[in-house]
Amino acid sequence: MSVRLLWPGLTALLLATAAAQLAIGTVAIPLAEMPDHIILHAVRLPRLIVVVLSGAMLGLAGALLQTVTRNPLAEPGLMGVSAGAVLAIVAMIIAASRAEGLGVVRETGWHLGLAGVAGGMAAGALTYALSRHQGTSRPILLVLMGVLVAGSASALTSVLLLTADESQLRLVLHWTIGSTNGRGWVHVEMLLPYAAAGLAMGLLSAGVANALQLGAGVAAGLGLRVEHARLLLIFAAAVLTAGAVSVVGGIGFVGLIGPHLARMLVGNDARRLFPAAAVVAALLLTLADLGARTFPLGWIEAWTRSPVPAPTGLPVGVITPLLGVPFFLWLVFARRERA
Amino acid sequence: MTADVADRAALGLNGAFVAGLAVSAGLLLVVLALSLLQGVVPLTTADVLAALSDPHAEARASILVWDLRLPRAGLAALAGACLAASGVLLQGALRNDLADPALLGVGAGASLLVALGVMLQPANLAAMPGFALGGGLAVGLIILAAAQVFRDTARIILVGAALAALFSALVVALIVLANAFQLRVVYAFLVGSLIGRDASDFLRLLPWAAVLLPATLFFVRGLDALRLGEEMAAGLGVNVFRFRLLLMLAAIGLVAPVVATCGPIGFIALVAPHLARAILRGTDAARVLPLAMLIGATLLATADLLAREALSPAELPVGLVVTALGAPAAILLLRRHLAGHTA
Repeated sequence: MSVRLLWPGLTALLLATAAAQLAIGTVAIPLAEMPDHIILHAVRLPRLIVVVLSGAMLGLAGALLQTVTRNPLAEPGLMGVSAGAVLAIVAMIIAASRAEGLGVVRETGWHLGLAGVAGGMAAGALTYALSRHQGTSRPILLVLMGVLVAGSASALTSVLLLTADESQLRLVLHWTIGSTNGRGWVHVEMLLPYAAAGLAMGLLSAGVANALQLGAGVAAGLGLRVEHARLLLIFAAAVLTAGAVSVVGGIGFVGLIGPHLARMLVGNDARRLFPAAAVVAALLLTLADLGARTFPLGWIEAWTRSPVPAPTGLPVGVITPLLGVPFFLWLVFARRERA
Repeated sequence: MTADVADRAALGLNGAFVAGLAVSAGLLLVVLALSLLQGVVPLTTADVLAALSDPHAEARASILVWDLRLPRAGLAALAGACLAASGVLLQGALRNDLADPALLGVGAGASLLVALGVMLQPANLAAMPGFALGGGLAVGLIILAAAQVFRDTARIILVGAALAALFSALVVALIVLANAFQLRVVYAFLVGSLIGRDASDFLRLLPWAAVLLPATLFFVRGLDALRLGEEMAAGLGVNVFRFRLLLMLAAIGLVAPVVATCGPIGFIALVAPHLARAILRGTDAARVLPLAMLIGATLLATADLLAREALSPAELPVGLVVTALGAPAAILLLRRHLAGHTA
């Protein structure tokens, strides 16, 4: 694809997928009634906004993390950032329900994202620190340490959930793996501040990121305070990830695939790579969500001979690993990484 | 090396071997005794001894000991031994001391099929080890294929990590689709737990362990040969591919029934063989295997005791305790190994 056609092409694809998201659903809406149909306004539109925004946030977070670690396998999920955010948010929810004497898990409120930023940053920084050996982050160590950090954080989350009852457990599990089911305007409001702050921070730091890509020595020679710059990028990635996680949960692999596809399209220049990663990841998540929504659950019902309980719908977090794991394996094997 | 020095070296190893066996057996006995004594209803030593000597007494102590605490402690110890043995075999098969059924996704593959089994045939508990075996084998064969194609062992572990992520996601998908009745059961296959396990669970694991644990001792010569390198092993008359396949099958045969009874429990298979090799200061499989089994049994029995007692009367799933203790240990081991190997 030539560079001139790239942006119009991507935008057209995203718009087409978005239109499909709005048009397709359990309830068939005639085209003429579409503009002011209640389902469209109250259900499909807010969900679409949540999906596009969180996809863009995860994609940009992945691009930021890959740049700052100079590691092609970096990704919010693989680095434990998502699991750390989930842990902090679950702790926050439980503390809040205890304080108010409520037994019910409440899953809205923008303050959840703040807890997530702290937890996600702590976990991401820990993984990065553990993956460093003789001054560089090793791709393989990063993934393995990420698996362990994420595993430990998930284990702690499970401890916190020991007292949860079935419906709470289902809700939180749904959200742990990542789901966009039933997201409405209240979730758009939760997401917006983090999307605005994180996307702005991430996109504006492209110049800094370009300098970092040259290596710490060159970047320092250009007058950059390397550790500050790294911290800034990790912070932006944590804000993006935590904001998305607090609404849609730990959706994996979008932050890995998005930036890689974007890199194939536009190259390594962060000023083009970052926005492209956000758009491509938004497109991917919208497609995955379309897949999750139209997945034939009735077929599973027939097979397991038990009714699928509400809230229905396959969580999109189940779809993304199906795409992401083969892609990850291809990255590990087909491409010779610079270890 | 003169015969004299070799003898003394063997003696030294023997000393460490015997001492290691004695110490871990002693610890295991202490932990098992504590498992019988401690609990929501504490028992005195006299109660326990009386109950042990007369299994058919109707006393409360007898029921607690024979129906609840002994089967569970026994299951923990047996499962720990199976996991440790599977770790030794997998590490031998892949010639990689970092191999672990959980890290490689074998546990997740087994969990997925068991979770499926719970949903499709909830009543048929006896079939669960079979389901687990199917899932574990599928992952194991992929790993083995990867090991044949790629020499870089760290990449093989990455393949395993990716498969683990995939299968865990599918397990969660099943949980989401499960009804409330199945949810708790399937959830156990996410973390690993011994809560409420009784004699029937112990008896489901026992035949697998009774056959496969002693059978692993037939592999020791081949394991030692393979450790010298594939060419060397072939030169010593080992059919390397067939032997690896056999090791893999045995390892998965040991893990699968554990997953089916307790859920996926990580890290024991990684840490126990390492501890055994560290104590022995050697890799002689004939000694590593039994010592690792005993250490694995002690580790899991201890973890389960902690899981039962730490927040008593509430119980933790033992999988969480193992993760809490095992993850830092694994981080240390991985860093030490990979930092050197993947330069």
